[in-house]
Amino acid sequence: MPRPGFVLDVDRSTPPTLFWRGEGFSLERLPADRSRIIYPPEPLAGLDNLDGHIRDALLNPLDMDPLPELLKPDMKLTICFDDASLSLPKMQQPDNRQRIVEAVLDMAAEAGVDDVHIIAALGLHRRMHEYELRHVLGDRIVDAFLPKGFLYQHDAEDPDNITEIGHTDEGEVLEINKRAAESDLVVYANINQVAMDGGWKSLTTGLASYRCLSEHHNPASLQNTRSLMDRHHSALHKSIWRMGELLRDSGPTVFQVETTINTEAFPSPFEFLAKREWEWTARDRGLFLASSKSLNKLPNRTKRKLFHKIEAPYRTTSVQAGFTATVHERTLENVYQQHLVEVDGQTDILTMGIPFISPYNPESIMNPILVMCMGLGYLFNMYRGKPLVKEGGVVIMTHPTYEEFHPVHHPSYIDFFDEVLADTNDPAVMSTKWEKKYAEDEWYRHLYRTSYAYHGVHPFYAWYWGAHGQQHAGKVIIVGGYAATVRKLGFTPASTMNDALEIASDTVGRSPTISHLHVPGVLVADVK
Amino acid sequence: MAGRTSHQYIRRGQRPDGAHRSIHVAQRAASMVEGAVRTAARPLARYGFPYRRPTAPKHVVVPRKPNGLGDTYDTEWARQPLARSLRGVIIEGPMRLAVRTIASPRVSGLDRLTDLLRVDNPRPVIFAPNHHSHIDTGVMIRSIPASWRHELVVAAAADYFFDARWKAALSALALNAIPIDRGATSRATFDRLRDVIADGNSLIIYPEGGRSPDGWGQDFKGGAAYLSTRTSAPIIPVHIDGTGEIFGKGANRLSPGRTAVLFGTPLLAAEGENTRRFNERIEAAVARLGDETLTDWWTATRNAASGRSPKLSGPDHNSWRRQWRLGEKRRGSTAGIRRRRIRRWPDLG
Amino acid sequence: MKALQIRRNIARFGAARVVGAVSPSGATKVGPLEYRTIEDPERPGDGWHRVRTRLAGICGSDLSLIGGRASTYFESWVSFPFVPGHEVVGELVDGDEAGTRVVLEPVLGHAARDFPLPFDGARPADGDDYAHLAVTSQDGVEPAIQTGFCCSTGGGWAPWFWAHESQLHRLNLPINDLPDERAVLIEPFAGGIHAALLAAPIVEGRANPVVAVLGAGTMGLAAIAGLRRYIPDIRIVVGARYPHQRELALAFGADVVVTATELDRAVRREVGCHMLGGGESGALSSGADVTIDAVGSSRSIADSLRITRPRGRVVLLGMPAHVELDLTGLWHREIDLKGAYTYGTETLSDGTVTDTFHLAIDTVTAVEAERLLSATYSLDEHLDAIDHAATAGRRGAIKIAFDLRESN
Repeated sequence: MPRPGFVLDVDRSTPPTLFWRGEGFSLERLPADRSRIIYPPEPLAGLDNLDGHIRDALLNPLDMDPLPELLKPDMKLTICFDDASLSLPKMQQPDNRQRIVEAVLDMAAEAGVDDVHIIAALGLHRRMHEYELRHVLGDRIVDAFLPKGFLYQHDAEDPDNITEIGHTDEGEVLEINKRAAESDLVVYANINQVAMDGGWKSLTTGLASYRCLSEHHNPASLQNTRSLMDRHHSALHKSIWRMGELLRDSGPTVFQVETTINTEAFPSPFEFLAKREWEWTARDRGLFLASSKSLNKLPNRTKRKLFHKIEAPYRTTSVQAGFTATVHERTLENVYQQHLVEVDGQTDILTMGIPFISPYNPESIMNPILVMCMGLGYLFNMYRGKPLVKEGGVVIMTHPTYEEFHPVHHPSYIDFFDEVLADTNDPAVMSTKWEKKYAEDEWYRHLYRTSYAYHGVHPFYAWYWGAHGQQHAGKVIIVGGYAATVRKLGFTPASTMNDALEIASDTVGRSPTISHLHVPGVLVADVK
Repeated sequence: MAGRTSHQYIRRGQRPDGAHRSIHVAQRAASMVEGAVRTAARPLARYGFPYRRPTAPKHVVVPRKPNGLGDTYDTEWARQPLARSLRGVIIEGPMRLAVRTIASPRVSGLDRLTDLLRVDNPRPVIFAPNHHSHIDTGVMIRSIPASWRHELVVAAAADYFFDARWKAALSALALNAIPIDRGATSRATFDRLRDVIADGNSLIIYPEGGRSPDGWGQDFKGGAAYLSTRTSAPIIPVHIDGTGEIFGKGANRLSPGRTAVLFGTPLLAAEGENTRRFNERIEAAVARLGDETLTDWWTATRNAASGRSPKLSGPDHNSWRRQWRLGEKRRGSTAGIRRRRIRRWPDLG
Repeated sequence: MKALQIRRNIARFGAARVVGAVSPSGATKVGPLEYRTIEDPERPGDGWHRVRTRLAGICGSDLSLIGGRASTYFESWVSFPFVPGHEVVGELVDGDEAGTRVVLEPVLGHAARDFPLPFDGARPADGDDYAHLAVTSQDGVEPAIQTGFCCSTGGGWAPWFWAHESQLHRLNLPINDLPDERAVLIEPFAGGIHAALLAAPIVEGRANPVVAVLGAGTMGLAAIAGLRRYIPDIRIVVGARYPHQRELALAFGADVVVTATELDRAVRREVGCHMLGGGESGALSSGADVTIDAVGSSRSIADSLRITRPRGRVVLLGMPAHVELDLTGLWHREIDLKGAYTYGTETLSDGTVTDTFHLAIDTVTAVEAERLLSATYSLDEHLDAIDHAATAGRRGAIKIAFDLRESN
């Protein structure tokens, strides 16, 4: 029986607690009697016979007819799936998307459907490498569809392949992939790792154009997104849901398949990362010492290679299929069941370790902008109700924050860091002053469409993701980061956790209360 | 030397009955070693968690894993070929030597087992001896005929022999011991014993459930009888005499002497006999063997026939007379007597 | 029953000391304390009651014994193998009084051993001849200073044990008014209060008397509480190592609380005398009238001698064991070095005669002593419990106890 998450009040008996530091980790001692550590719930038990459950969900969908009844021989069927930003780290094969797509194709074959396209719904993310496609979909699908050109990746910059569906009541434009828009049925295969994913967001962002995405991927709505993990209090999600309703009324029929996974993210020998420190066995301690000591000696390149090779032994906790909105409500329940931890009130300081990965650097480098996005965008937003830190409080992150960028994946990030951040780190200013230039840069566009680069505007989106956190926190300190880089992000560098707490005392006084978000293990703090 | 001190100003110790000198010496030695170790270990003090075991925060319940000790200890490995051959070496080498020097058992009554032994592959049996000492098991293993000896399992108290990993491993390896819970024998324990018998192993089980606290026996518990009725393995009552004097319960040194092991006629539960009655019969058989050891076969038989066999558990009264009777019993016994009595002049101080 | 037991196993005592130098928790594992099935002790005779343990504290003297550091002095005053545990709150098992909660006054005194009382109404620890402690009584109670060091009676670290009528203090208060967590601190508080009362004759008649307390573990805090309640008009200066100890010392009535290393200067400031020399050879020209040393190490006794005024008194409350000490100061300053082991009949400054346990029962309620009980463990978690008790200061704890209420 997995134990629920809980809030630990740090006392003098509490052993130092784990912090990620990019491609490494450290143990830090938090001040006794005024710190608390929020531990995530233990991984829920996974479903046995997952393929059976998927088939079952397809045959008994929510608020829709069973999939076989929707399949007609002469129809246009489009199957879309989440890109490499899910799951993190990538899950051990077979991936859920492979299982779903194979199950759908089985039924389509039975029904005699000939016209099938499979599209990676990657929005403005970088295109997936073939080996990534193979990891996600499996060799059978890739070998059958890729050579014939029926398996391809969404291109938001291809004007011939984008169709306008219409405008929402608030005047937002909805533009999506033309093939999907013209299909008789779109099946979406999804993995829900956190509550932000899924629902209408899958399709209306994954298959959308820049014009459509900028309707909600902008500073104004992201500053009003409280939080990304709580759809009902997120301006971003509200806009997306309006588009979803438009899609329901005037778009193709969408059959959504969502799966939720548990938090078993690290295989042996890294399981100790998710364990509670006082339960570390001698083996765990030995592994921690050996790995953290040797990681300190290795060059970044090698460490990255090691970590990105990790394949998570995630287990799937639920499968639901059918009408998007209904499916997603069920999904959210299941996601929250895994993630929610009840927390009482806010504290002056929030500490978090930034891991080696974020949704925007699979197989890539965690550059400084992504550190900001991961810290203030994702981890800060892991709440429901109120943020864990008081308004004007301090956020302390641990990460080496080296000034390194992946030249192929993140070309526009380099210029964003050099040019835009030198000018401003205010999302509103950069959006009016710089965003258009980057979005329409021909070279970035070319790289996005033909190489494996994120869209030119993507660093702006990554930055906007942290807009709410940036606005909320009085001060952000990065422990162990390169000082110049950290300052350029608009944050304060500190060499040790104690220094950081000293620096924080300028803002929050001499004996502030502290919350620490224990990562890994994903959690959403339900702050009362 | 007891009572003398090296300090000049105290001539006589106040309590000449204590052997305190060894403690003083030990304490001084430990203190010296401790000092040295402490100095050497001083740099280690900086290293806390994760070099050392973490302490748990207050109010946190640390789930406890079953430690796999006690009656949950899995002894299966001790019956694998490697462990078996190692045990063979132990039994034929050091154990043989030790039993001969310490206990020099005189084994008799083996002729009563010939019917069981005359076949090629003798069936598993359950030996039910009385229990006075830890060395009983060694003596038994050495006394049991070789065809059973190498497939012999000993039922040992889970709370004593299996409470630490090293003890458990040693008991399992050297004695082929299996943990049994002497408080309330669980279903699992019984199933385990039944399985090892079904695998062709014979079993030594002490029906008294523990060593004698005062030299007299204790009432038999029904486990052996129950096991026998369920597995139809015959019970062989055994009486061991003299081990209590050599290394009885609470003794802190060995005083080597002689022992006598007397095997009785194999018993099987009669048709329709319940476990309790069968158990009583086993106890009576062992008591009879005890009588036979002290007297002779004919006297013991007549005593048994007339119900006058001295009870293993001694006289009912609970006073000095009990000890007195024990002394009487011991005088009659040929066993347990020191082999070489060291004659010394009386110590007149 | 399954209980914690200490056997006279010299190798284990030695091993505990040696291993303890490297790892305190390792010392418990190899040391003389074992969790094992023991034989139920037999009822020693009339007047003995079976007491079921509810809470049983872990005392500093237990720790030194488990760590193999106890003095060989005790060799004649204990009887192995014994179940430790003398800070006990329990309940009577048999008879009409079954379920009555009791606190144990652990000393196995005259009454418990069928010796004539030294005077009428004497408490177990009274009397000027300890012969009764060191011989086996007629009922067969083996030598031992207290329950918890005696093989005949059992001790508190077991599901139950035997206690003599003279050792029992019945708690007639409902459990809400005197919870077990508070009652388990009565015994250590009695010890602390006894030490505090030893200050009375020295401070009597002095203008602005100052009492220094070195160490603020359970015993030090109990002494502070006792000083504040029973010795009027004194200034209490406390040196304590850990912040949570300093907070509690203030809460219990200390006037000045400093870190242990600053105690000499704090006392000097209170008294207004000179400070001569520095470091370990330094001393105050005058000093505290009484210093209560609740640590009991060579360092702490030396410090106490340096900060006590000539013809003052040093009360040794912490069990000292083997110490190395320069006694020149003691000789020169004519200081009283006073031991404070236990409790008994006390005469207060207003002349009332009472016994320490009654004072302790009042005091634990007045100061809400349950806040000193930092954690409880079950008997089979004894390794963690002992480790916690041994590192209590560092881990922000004061008193650790075994809780047998659920398992019993």
